[in-house]
Amino acid sequence: MADVSLRKVKKQFGALDVIKGVDLDVQDGEFCVFVGPSGCGKSTLLRMIAGLEEITSGELSIGGRDMTKVGPSERGVAMVFQSYALYPHMTVAENIGFGLKMTGHSKELIAERTARAAKMLQLDALLKRKPGQLSGGQRQRVAIGRAIVRNPEVFLFDEPLSNLDAALRVQMRTELSKLHQDLKATMIYVTHDQVEAMTMADKIVVLSAGRIEQVGSPLELYHRPNNLFVAGFIGSPKMNFLKVTVAAGAGGSLNIALPGAALQLPSHGVSVEGGEMTLGLRPEHIDATGKGDVVIEATVKLAEYLGSETLFFVTLSDGSELAVKADGLAREKPGETIRLGINAKACHLFDANGLAVINGDLTR
Amino acid sequence: MFPTPIQKASPFVQTAYKIVLPLALVLWLLPLIGVAITSVRPASDLAAGNYFGIPSGFAGLENYTAVFRDSPIGLYILNSFKVTIPTVIGAVALSCLTGFALAVYRFKGNLLLFFMFVAGNFIPFQILMVPVRDMTLRAGLYDTTLGLVLFHVAFQTGFCTLFMRNFIKGLPFALIESARVEGVSEWRIFRYIVLPLMRPAIAALSVLVFTFVWNDYFWATVLVQGQHAMPVTAGLYSLNGQWVAAWHLVSAGSIVAALPPVAMFFLMQRHFIAGLTLGATKG
Repeated sequence: MADVSLRKVKKQFGALDVIKGVDLDVQDGEFCVFVGPSGCGKSTLLRMIAGLEEITSGELSIGGRDMTKVGPSERGVAMVFQSYALYPHMTVAENIGFGLKMTGHSKELIAERTARAAKMLQLDALLKRKPGQLSGGQRQRVAIGRAIVRNPEVFLFDEPLSNLDAALRVQMRTELSKLHQDLKATMIYVTHDQVEAMTMADKIVVLSAGRIEQVGSPLELYHRPNNLFVAGFIGSPKMNFLKVTVAAGAGGSLNIALPGAALQLPSHGVSVEGGEMTLGLRPEHIDATGKGDVVIEATVKLAEYLGSETLFFVTLSDGSELAVKADGLAREKPGETIRLGINAKACHLFDANGLAVINGDLTR
Repeated sequence: MFPTPIQKASPFVQTAYKIVLPLALVLWLLPLIGVAITSVRPASDLAAGNYFGIPSGFAGLENYTAVFRDSPIGLYILNSFKVTIPTVIGAVALSCLTGFALAVYRFKGNLLLFFMFVAGNFIPFQILMVPVRDMTLRAGLYDTTLGLVLFHVAFQTGFCTLFMRNFIKGLPFALIESARVEGVSEWRIFRYIVLPLMRPAIAALSVLVFTFVWNDYFWATVLVQGQHAMPVTAGLYSLNGQWVAAWHLVSAGSIVAALPPVAMFFLMQRHFIAGLTLGATKG
């Protein structure tokens, strides 16, 4: 059992609050991803779990044991660094076995575990090389191998893929997911890349400015973002936000004035005061063929034809801009008029404080 | 690219470069060449006032054998080694530890301590002459190689610490953190990760300290009087007294005395490989 739990964890660097009180539970065997823009404190939080940064206040426990004041060497965690941090003067095999050797394990055990990890990560042929003779992806695998051999209860990854090229990153992503399935260990993974978060995580923790914005499964965050920050952060291209005026309508529905059309939104029993609010629409939920509960006209400003899909950047009659993800066969050109169908079920509504009032949950 | 490769300069500059460079080199080496030539000059030349002219004959063999036969230069050289080698080992070993502590650990007064190590280098040793002599005398270390070694270790450690601390600061800190997470004790991190990566620094510093200490004349004369502990630099001086102004022999002795640091440099040169840490992090 190795669940990780944080209670009111704070971190200050001098007078600067970096982590402003985090409560979080990561279950045993879970793949948890910390995601957020740079400077949000996600790496600091991970380093606090590793023991590399002191916890200013609050409590941390791993596997039910209080680890708040315990040194990094006694926490039973393994960490993979963004820079890989391979020991340059040791061969791959020595790198992988170093931790075990230093903690007094027998040669046979080290050899056996190194061989197993090398096989798992396809490093067999490289065991005698030095890190300087390896490619980025291979170094990354050595760093992971070094973590695996110790059979840790918790794996910590600090942006491990950000130094790899795009193709390799996709490949390593699937390999890491597979590794998680094989090892069934708790993994905490830090990234700024929301695609990595969405594809790998059981649980995503969205952080911003030292606070947790939302915790949930990838689809929960996608369909039911709590606030504007999460809504804008998860999903690519990011969600469109329109400033709208909302008024209560008949039968518990809401009337929303859009440029050139009026949208009726079911309130799902939520009482809404109305007034100035923000309407959130994902680019992929706007229909470029003009089918939907309400249709508005827009002018195409820019079009990106990707083959599998076409991205339109359009301007509405009041000057506000939208991104629209259309079918790859859509052929509208910049300057042409396009009819956009909006599905009321897909609309998110956020109040003046940026909190979600209604989530456009298509699964509902 | 700066500086511009000489191959790309105008023909005039290229020619000028080819003439001026060897000239400058010879000019720079002139004192050394002078000593080398004097060391093979027959004694009669000096008596005749031929100090800088072409030697009237080659007397290298006589002069060098005379140095070894007529003076205890062998003992002086041995003394120099007895002072220099322990100093190099002591100062480098000590500064590896101090450098590691100052570079890796965050503690109150870290920077202050570091500055004190650095500031020590700026104290002119003429000021220290009398107190240090007094101190060694009272400690019973006056006129011994041990006294000289202890003083040199203490005095060199300041500079060495500056050097080592900055070198370790330049190593990727993630290496140390990674080892810590792996459960490796601090001493073993130093021993098995930091120390092997410090090899180029240790080599460079060893050569430097070796040269400094070997060439030291000041402290050798201040702290040592008798032949039994006299290093070769100070020993040469007594050579001069023995044969009144026997410059050809003193020159020969100087050349012999200068050989060990030169040999040391060529021996250690291959350790001056930069970039041992390449490949540790992304690249």
